[in-house]
Amino acid sequence: MKLFTNMLKSTAVAAVVMTASVATAPAADIAVIAGSIEDGFFNLIKKGVDDATLVVEANGGSVNYLRTSNYDNFGPDLVQLINTAVSQNVDGIAIPVWVPESQVPALKAAAAKGIKIMIYNSGASIREEVSGINYFGSDEFVAGVAGGEYMAKNGAKNIICHIQSPGAVNLEARCKGVKEGAAKHGAISTNLPLPANLDQNVTATSEAIKAELLKDPTIDAVITLAAWASDAAAVAIKQAGGPDKVKLGTFDMSPAVLARIKDGTQSMAIDQQPYLQGFLATSMLAAHIDFGTELATDPVLTGPAIIDASNIDTALAGVKKGAR
Amino acid sequence: MRNLSIGSLLIRPEAGAFLGMVFVFVFFAVFGGSTFTSFSGAASWLNVAANLGIIAIPIGFLMIAGELDLSIGAMVPAASMSMGIISGYYGLPILVGVGLTMLFAATFGWINGIIVVRTEVPSLIVTMGTLFSIAGLTLFLSIFLTDTTAVALNAPAWAKAVFGDFYFGSYQIIILWWLGMTAIYVYFLHFSPWGNWLYAMGGDKVSARNAGIPTNKLTIGMFMLSSLSAAFVGICQTILFNSAQVSSGMSFIFNTIISVVIGGVILTGGFGSVIGIFFGTITFAMVNQGIYFTDFDRNLSSLIVGIMLLIAVLMNNTFRQMALTHTSPKKKK
Amino acid sequence: MSKNIKSNRKPVLELRNVNKSFGPIDVLHDISLKVHKGEVLCLLGDNGAGKSTLIKTLCGVHKPTSGTILMDGEEVNFPNPRSAADKGISTVHQFGGTFPLMSIGRSFFVGVEPTKNFGPIKIFDRKKANEIAVKAVQDFGITRIDDGDRLIGGLSGGERQSLAIARAVHFGARVLILDEPTAALGVKQASHVLRIVNEAKKRGLAVIFITHQVMHAMAVGDHFAVLIRGGIAADFKKGERSREEITDLMAGGETMADLEAEIQASIDE
Repeated sequence: MKLFTNMLKSTAVAAVVMTASVATAPAADIAVIAGSIEDGFFNLIKKGVDDATLVVEANGGSVNYLRTSNYDNFGPDLVQLINTAVSQNVDGIAIPVWVPESQVPALKAAAAKGIKIMIYNSGASIREEVSGINYFGSDEFVAGVAGGEYMAKNGAKNIICHIQSPGAVNLEARCKGVKEGAAKHGAISTNLPLPANLDQNVTATSEAIKAELLKDPTIDAVITLAAWASDAAAVAIKQAGGPDKVKLGTFDMSPAVLARIKDGTQSMAIDQQPYLQGFLATSMLAAHIDFGTELATDPVLTGPAIIDASNIDTALAGVKKGAR
Repeated sequence: MRNLSIGSLLIRPEAGAFLGMVFVFVFFAVFGGSTFTSFSGAASWLNVAANLGIIAIPIGFLMIAGELDLSIGAMVPAASMSMGIISGYYGLPILVGVGLTMLFAATFGWINGIIVVRTEVPSLIVTMGTLFSIAGLTLFLSIFLTDTTAVALNAPAWAKAVFGDFYFGSYQIIILWWLGMTAIYVYFLHFSPWGNWLYAMGGDKVSARNAGIPTNKLTIGMFMLSSLSAAFVGICQTILFNSAQVSSGMSFIFNTIISVVIGGVILTGGFGSVIGIFFGTITFAMVNQGIYFTDFDRNLSSLIVGIMLLIAVLMNNTFRQMALTHTSPKKKK
Repeated sequence: MSKNIKSNRKPVLELRNVNKSFGPIDVLHDISLKVHKGEVLCLLGDNGAGKSTLIKTLCGVHKPTSGTILMDGEEVNFPNPRSAADKGISTVHQFGGTFPLMSIGRSFFVGVEPTKNFGPIKIFDRKKANEIAVKAVQDFGITRIDDGDRLIGGLSGGERQSLAIARAVHFGARVLILDEPTAALGVKQASHVLRIVNEAKKRGLAVIFITHQVMHAMAVGDHFAVLIRGGIAADFKKGERSREEITDLMAGGETMADLEAEIQASIDE
């Protein structure tokens, strides 16, 4: 039903845009390009985009939400979506930049046509190059540093940082940050890259982490980069000494992660607050087009926010509402 | 009774798989040190093998019968979510969750089977379609019903004991299920008359049908079995890890097919054995987990997995050739 | 000899004025054929003459558009291949065993597996299956097959054909349809198969032997029918025509000499 109305909306938008492009645009018609439909993280982004859409629509504009179907042909898919948005004559595009080599030329071309670009989630470094207005997102490295510091401050000496998809720039940056943050407080962090055929395979990942823990009993903290991996690590830790001996922290979160933080079997989760990324990128882009507003802060970091035993209850309330 | 010469052992479909397993075991016993072969180290690869093996054998049956089921990739997370939503989010009893989830799985398996049988479209294509359909439906329903893509589930102690807990410190209960199911499957494929039907179907479906084998029923049954097995693994994982999330589960597709192929089943059907698949699954699990016991650079793990698999498959090919050309020695000389 | 007795008996399988068309295309017209117990009927025809359609009609894959099929003088209908098989019509295809990766014992009993019971559990009786299969094929003189666990794919073409024929006979086939059994075989292998055809005939089966190799047909045939463009062009008994005449008939009525002249002409052009 929702899909259907969305489709109606987007065709209506296209029709409006066609006629509008001749006269001056009455309000912002923008496209928000986002990651895979299978990626739970983007449902939180979408919640933010949906909420912002209410504001944009109240001002007479429209928002078209475009997602890649998967991450297998990532660069070309994203370029395709940019071109789709351009062909719909939108006034602005909000987009994460994951594959700069592919996306930058397409975004430059879009900017040359007068389309406003807003970057969110990833791509702070190329914002100026594509004439982006601002960046809403976390800095993976900064988030990693925060995670590493947190663990080290709480007594960790030897951390492993699990990477579920080796080579992915954002994941490597997180673990690099963890290493740096740990070093500040005299702890070390080692990366544990697992082959991609174990990605999302909880059992195999759990056993691999357990093997590492058994092999090196001095490991006293594990940081994972996804909520499911944290589930796997929690089980591994339970068998290899328990949460008193090995601390667990993770990027991203899920009900199970929060439940563990609540009952004390997990130390913390690093939240980059995707809701804010979606909400702010969409509403600020529309406001910039409609009213010419600009934020003085650039880039705007939506994270890291660390969730631990001290603030778990408010986080749980946000999760219930689908925003965290 | 049986002629147990080396020759006759080597022509068995599982011979290659067995030797492959021994090779990999020795390899990691040497490079992984004593932790790999220790009691708790062995649990590491046996747990992985059990989760994979429960799905791999029914996939092997389908492959022997000349079919393939990719939709299990979506079925594992779908069942996991279904379990999480029914018994976690809505808090219904575990048995209701298991029952309904198995019912969904049986339905999807049946749909796979019916489409394959009725349309004669290759099952690779059909199940690719259902793979995406199930994944999409899971995502849609979980957001529609719970507004999130991940749910938590706290199963009662008895359910954990039956479906997802550790025994002797690190052995998952699913290993027992796997061994039990393997025993039943060995009977089914090698000792019951129905096993013969499966081989015949894989050899030549038309001739098999003409020989009076209910090929359609059998095909549908096989798809239901693979779907149910995938759902079972999803359920056990949810109960063990207290959590379910929408994911692609694609790794299961490749990992089961690889295990089956290492186990000596050929992609074109008609040849293979349950024990072979059993060994193949263990081999694959050892290759995958073994590296974490070694001092190799972790970035090499995919390379090592790939090379080991190629060796295993090449060994299988050699043994199959031997099987085809083998003439047993005269029994009474 | 026995020939006189035969003609007084009803044929095991008889086709009367059978037509088969697929939409507007007539593939078989007005086919009338008889085959008696202990007799080999050779169906000769070039590629595309309608041989395979005729076989499929005989074994229940296709239903005739018009005309009747009779067994022992009574009209029969085959809604599917299974029903034809139940009536004792057995077809052996060009490559014999169609399950190359199954063992001899297992493939022999596909669909009718012998079982023994362990309490409520049915067990496929491998030993019994192997013994019966090996014995059946050895009775046909193929003594080289002595291990029921061997894979079909490891047998020679002739051995596979022999096994398939032995299987049909074992399961009570009355009419044996052999579809080009010698086409893919060397001379020695082919003679093996021909010997087995003779053996089947001796055991009282009605054999329909489809081939385009006149030599092989003449070696075992009692009765011959030549199929051209879906119709019976000639129908004669053993010894009534020479090899050259039959070859000419198969080529569509033209003599070999005509054909040669034609080819020469086209080369000269």
